[in-house]
This record gives sequence, C-alpha cells and structure tokens, in this order.
Amino acid sequence: MIYGDKKTGIIVTGATGHQGEYHIGLMNEYARQVGGRGVVAGVTPKKGGQTVHDVPVYNSIKEALREQDATAAVVFVPGTAAADSIMEAADAGLELIVAITEHVPVHDTMKALAYAKMKGSSVIGPNCPGLLSPGEVKMGIMPAGLVSRGHVGVVSRSGTLTYEVVDELTRAGIGQSTIVGIGGDPLIGQTFEDVLERFAEDPETKAVVMIGEVGGNLEAEGARNTDVPLVAYIAGVSAPPDKRMGHAGAIVEGGESDAKSKIRKLKKMDIPVASRPSEIPGLVRDLFRCNC
Amino acid sequence: MKLLEYEAKQLFADEGIKVPQGLVVSNPDEIRMDMIPGKVVVKAQVDVGGRGKAGGVLMADRDTVTDTARQLLNTKIKGLPVPRVLIEERLDIQHEYFVSITMDRAKKQPVILFAETGGMDIEETARKNPDAVRSVTFNPLLPDVPAFLLRELCGAAPSEIQKTVNRLYHVFCHKDALLAEINPLVTTPAGVYAADAKLIIDDNSLARQGITVNRDLTEREREAEKHGFSFVELGGTIGVIGNGAGLTMSTLDLIEYYGGKAADFLDVGGGADSERVMHAVRLVASVPTVKVIVVNLLGGITRCDEVARGIISAGVGVPVIVRIAGTNADEGRKLLQEKGYEMLDTMDLVVKKAVEVTR
Repeated sequence: MIYGDKKTGIIVTGATGHQGEYHIGLMNEYARQVGGRGVVAGVTPKKGGQTVHDVPVYNSIKEALREQDATAAVVFVPGTAAADSIMEAADAGLELIVAITEHVPVHDTMKALAYAKMKGSSVIGPNCPGLLSPGEVKMGIMPAGLVSRGHVGVVSRSGTLTYEVVDELTRAGIGQSTIVGIGGDPLIGQTFEDVLERFAEDPETKAVVMIGEVGGNLEAEGARNTDVPLVAYIAGVSAPPDKRMGHAGAIVEGGESDAKSKIRKLKKMDIPVASRPSEIPGLVRDLFRCNC
Repeated sequence: MKLLEYEAKQLFADEGIKVPQGLVVSNPDEIRMDMIPGKVVVKAQVDVGGRGKAGGVLMADRDTVTDTARQLLNTKIKGLPVPRVLIEERLDIQHEYFVSITMDRAKKQPVILFAETGGMDIEETARKNPDAVRSVTFNPLLPDVPAFLLRELCGAAPSEIQKTVNRLYHVFCHKDALLAEINPLVTTPAGVYAADAKLIIDDNSLARQGITVNRDLTEREREAEKHGFSFVELGGTIGVIGNGAGLTMSTLDLIEYYGGKAADFLDVGGGADSERVMHAVRLVASVPTVKVIVVNLLGGITRCDEVARGIISAGVGVPVIVRIAGTNADEGRKLLQEKGYEMLDTMDLVVKKAVEVTR
C-alpha cells in the first residue's frame, strides 16, 4: 500500500457537513471491517465538542492533534473554503491531505498547493474520490464494495470511471494494491508521476492501471519516468475540441492534450492502451504473462 | 468564462493598465464621438479567434464611423452575428509586444509568456522561432512578479512594459483568471497601451467575482444549468446519461467504438436522486435527434433504486436502455423490470444495443 495503512489516523475537515458526516460513517465502517484506525477526529470551526458517528469534533486541526494521533486529513470543506482547509492541514504538519471537494477556484488550489509544498505535505486532489488500499485503509469516497486486495495499482483522474475499472478488475479476479483518484481539475497535487513513483517503491504493487482523459499532458510525463509495468486507458477520444466534458480539466486545448495524441505517445513507449474499459483486465493479464 | 474585449479592457483599466478611449454600441445611432479623439478603429465584439483576419476590425475616420459600425453590425464573423461593436481611438503604434499569463499545469505555478514582436502573427512566430517567446514561472504566493524575472522576460523593452506585465499579473490574480493576455501590447508616444484584451475567468470563481453569466444559452442548455448538469449536445442519435465526467466520456467513446453517434454528454453528478434523474431523462429525450437513450450509472454515493424511480417517473416516449451497477442495483433493476425497461449488465452491452437500435 502507498500513502497509508491500517495504522493511519485520519482527520476529516468539514466533518459536520452533509458529505463529511456521511463519509466519516463509511470510512469508519471500512476501518472496522479491516481492523484499522480510520477517522479519529473531525474538524469544523465552532462545532468543537460535538460527535459525528462517535468521532469527536474539534474547532481546528491543531486542537484535534492535541488529543488525537493522526497523520492524514480528508477535506470535505466546500468550494471557496477548501484551500484554507488544505493550508490548515499542511500548517499542522499532516503528511497527507486528500481534498475531495469539487469546484475549488483554481487560483485557490494553486496557492494551497504551493503552501503545502513549502510545509512538506503531499496533497491528493482536489475534486477527487481519494484513495483506497483494500484491506488497509480508505481515505475518501470510493465505494468499498467493488474492491478486492491484490497486486495491481490503479491511478486515475476520474471518479466513477475508476469504480468501473476496479469493478472490471475484481470481476476478472485481479485484486488491487491501492486505488488512487488524483482528481479531474486542471491543477492537482499528486500527479500521475508522483503516484507512479510511490507505486514503484511499493512491494505490494506489481503493475499499474493508469486511467487518463483529455486535457493537460501529464499522463505521458508520468509514464515516461517509471519502470512499473503499465496498462493505460484514456477517456475522451470522441470529445470535440474546446467543449468542456464535465471535469474542469477535461477540455481539449489544442496541441497535444487530446486523447488520440496521448494514446499515440503512450503506445510509442510500448505501453498497452485499452480502447475500452472492458479490455483492461485482459491487458493486465498479458502483462503478467510476458515477464513480470 | 471568456469575456469580450470591451469587458476585459474595463477590468484591465481597473488595475491601472492603459486602454484606448472607446465606447461600445449595439446601434450605430448611439455613437457619440466627443469622447474619442482623432481617427478610430471599429471592432466586432464577438468571441472568435483570428478576428482581425476574418474582417472583424475596420479602420474609420470621424465621418465614416457610423457607416462602418453599421456595416460591421450587419455582418457575420466566422458565422457569428455581431451584437456589439467597440469604437476606439486609433493608437499611434510604435512597437507591438505580446504578453500572456496562464497556469503551468506541471509546475502548478503562474507562467508568463512574452514576445518582443506581438500582433496577429504571434502563433506563426512561436511556431517558426520558439526562442522568440520567452517564459517565466514563479511561486504563486508572491504578490508581484519578481523584478529580476520581469527583466529576464522583457529584455530590452521599456520599463513601462515591465510595469504593465506586473499589472496584468494583478488582473490575473484578482480576477481569478485562467488566462490574461494582451496582444498586441503597444508602445505609443502617449505611453504603453493594451490594444487588445483577452480574459478567461475560472467558472468556479464567477460567484465571488460578482460576474453573472450572460451567455446565449439554448433552452435545453438553460434547463441543464438549472439542474446543475454538465451538458453538451453533440448532434448524434444516441442520448447519453452517466454519472461522473470520466464514465460519461468513456460511454461516448464506446458509442464511437461501436459505430454509433452520441447525441449528448450529460453528467448527472454525484448522489443524484430520482427527481434529478427524471429531469435528466426528460432533457435528453427533448433533444430532437435522439432515437434512444443510454443510461450508464455506477452507484457509489448514487443509489440505483433512486435512478430507477427517476427513469420511470420521466416516462418518456423514446426507448431507454439501462445499465446500473453498485449501490442498491438489485432493487433498481427489479423496479425497472416490472415496468418492462430493457436492462443489460455491462456498458459494452448497453452501448452495442443502442447502436443496433439506431441502425
């Protein structure tokens, strides 16, 4: 597993909001199943003293850390306040910050990422489903019912498309080591390259499925700099230029950010690229058959 | 959201960037020339690239300005009508520069591009001689572009150009811009001016910028916006409803893979309840080219029984083929089965079927 395990203590910010509360419940249900620590504290300013699913709520992250042992934060704070929550977590010295929030202004993200980098924290997201290491830890909103433990890592810019691929893998009998959703925004913390670096050092991970989409150019960058055996899938081959397909980052801006150029680049590096999600399990099997 | 030239110029002026004297009219009879000195230029206020080359910028003098404006208001630029023109003083241009500020996705920092030869052919210049366009990136927590970077960027250009680049960076930050660009940025005997202006505002920041979106939406697009759906019409026959941008995009790709043509992209978003799904189905069914609708939803936060109820209560005439998986999928399938809806287990199957139906 990468980023965390059973022993990881998690703080959820935006704990008393609708999303925060709901997912504290699900994260701790998973933690109970696998015998992990899960969410140890919630944070919402002015709501200190309450509890959410038996988890104590504090006014600030620093206050929570005085009583609880945690190294990661999962941010559910909405929109224009999300970046502040990321910076608060970084300032408090948390190693990992998973920002689930969507619709974060890009300038806020840019500043929060710069601040977190200064403080030495890793940020996943924003606008992402978080991560899940089957049998170890769930930090975010991925449905745990679809996953199975194994040796294939998954890294993706998408949410539901990731669940689709994980479901395909599980039904084909291919378990996962860690599934990371890095987010669909134009600016994100951990990139394909960063996550692949972690997978490369992870003894549990033997191969990685990389799920990209139109917009930006970071899939090929990530693939170029790793030795981990990869299978790729890029969504958006049929996307018309200049139309935004849901994700703020998923717009074909001309140049090399369209799906077809990305696929061409990956194939040039001899990386097998699935033309549809259902081909992914077969390509992963081929990978294991050849040498790895 | 991309602003029009005259809107962008107003915001540039607010940060102290000099812009030409001008006025915006939609009716040539509204033209009052007392504000504008000397000869003028008349510019179509339409959102197209290469406007100058497409005939959207015309020269005029004080006698001909009304006729020129009328002429431009009655033409189409690259197929778009011209609802407004900007009438501006004609600048006495000595030299044209190019400056553009955006975000570097890999570095996660602002990036400023600068060229000592701006104007209409900047793309050509950049392609032929990439070294002619200089660029710098820097820490976004800084309130100004560091002076040493301005010197590096602007080379031999006058210091007033450096100041203007820094002011443009203020526009970029204060207005939540994804892109702030001046091409050409010009020197004149009266100082440095933004002769043109391009500004794209982050859609996630429109509310805090106090910008109300005044786009020409179709009735269906307005309906989609009301319900918070991401919705793009694509002209084909297979209507698509998915949850999550990636899965929906992937469904469109699969339609192309199997030889069909998608009518739309509609992402209902996370946690959609039956009412949202109902509105989505009705909206897609109202697209005139739609012959069949594919619903491809993977329930995480979204509950499939809610999805089923939404599809049923929409009660549309076109056939709806459904693939639902995940949370409460069995219950959802049972509800749809009772009403005789066609259901298939995988996205491949559901798309294949839809393509067959439209053949």
